[in-house]
Amino acid sequence: MNTELRERIKNVIETEPVAVFMKGSPQFVMCGNSERALQALRGSGAPVTAVDVLPDPEIRQELSALSGWPTIPQIFIGGELVGGADIVEELAASGELEQKLSESLGDGYRDEATERVVSVLVPA
Amino acid sequence: MTAELESVLRAAFPEATEVRVTDRTGGGDHFLVEVTSPRFDGLPLLEQHRLVNEALAAPFASGRIHEMRIKTKGTA
Repeated sequence: MNTELRERIKNVIETEPVAVFMKGSPQFVMCGNSERALQALRGSGAPVTAVDVLPDPEIRQELSALSGWPTIPQIFIGGELVGGADIVEELAASGELEQKLSESLGDGYRDEATERVVSVLVPA
Repeated sequence: MTAELESVLRAAFPEATEVRVTDRTGGGDHFLVEVTSPRFDGLPLLEQHRLVNEALAAPFASGRIHEMRIKTKGTA
């Protein structure tokens, strides 16, 4: 177990309004499922803080140990696991995603819907 | 692989009214898994998918599955 890495992942989950652990970045997506999740979030006007899991396999290990979710992407809203691409897509289609975003971030969440990328890698 | 996954799911969800595994690309490693079960009634989607993920943990760990899409439904 990599305690420092796990703490960094936990910090992103707990402090970012919407955290997306994905393969690649929003600008350069490396997996179809990460793309589907991003599109669903964008369509709902969500702010996105993305973490690329590809630079180090340990990121994925620690993330799944924390969340109990086996696959990538993983989407967290307000510190809570929402699910993977299938769930986020389904919730977007039913309107529940927007509802969840409003509840968690406030009704004006669309106004500050920026996309950014953060790294959880522990500096060498 | 499709039949194998289906039998794993049927064993895990004997009460399911529908279990279907589709090879989405024909390559034997991208699957769509559909399960309809009364066990999902009233359960949040996250927990429904968690049950399917747990059922398929062993085949998933084998590394032969590249991608799995999940669709779950209750019967209520």
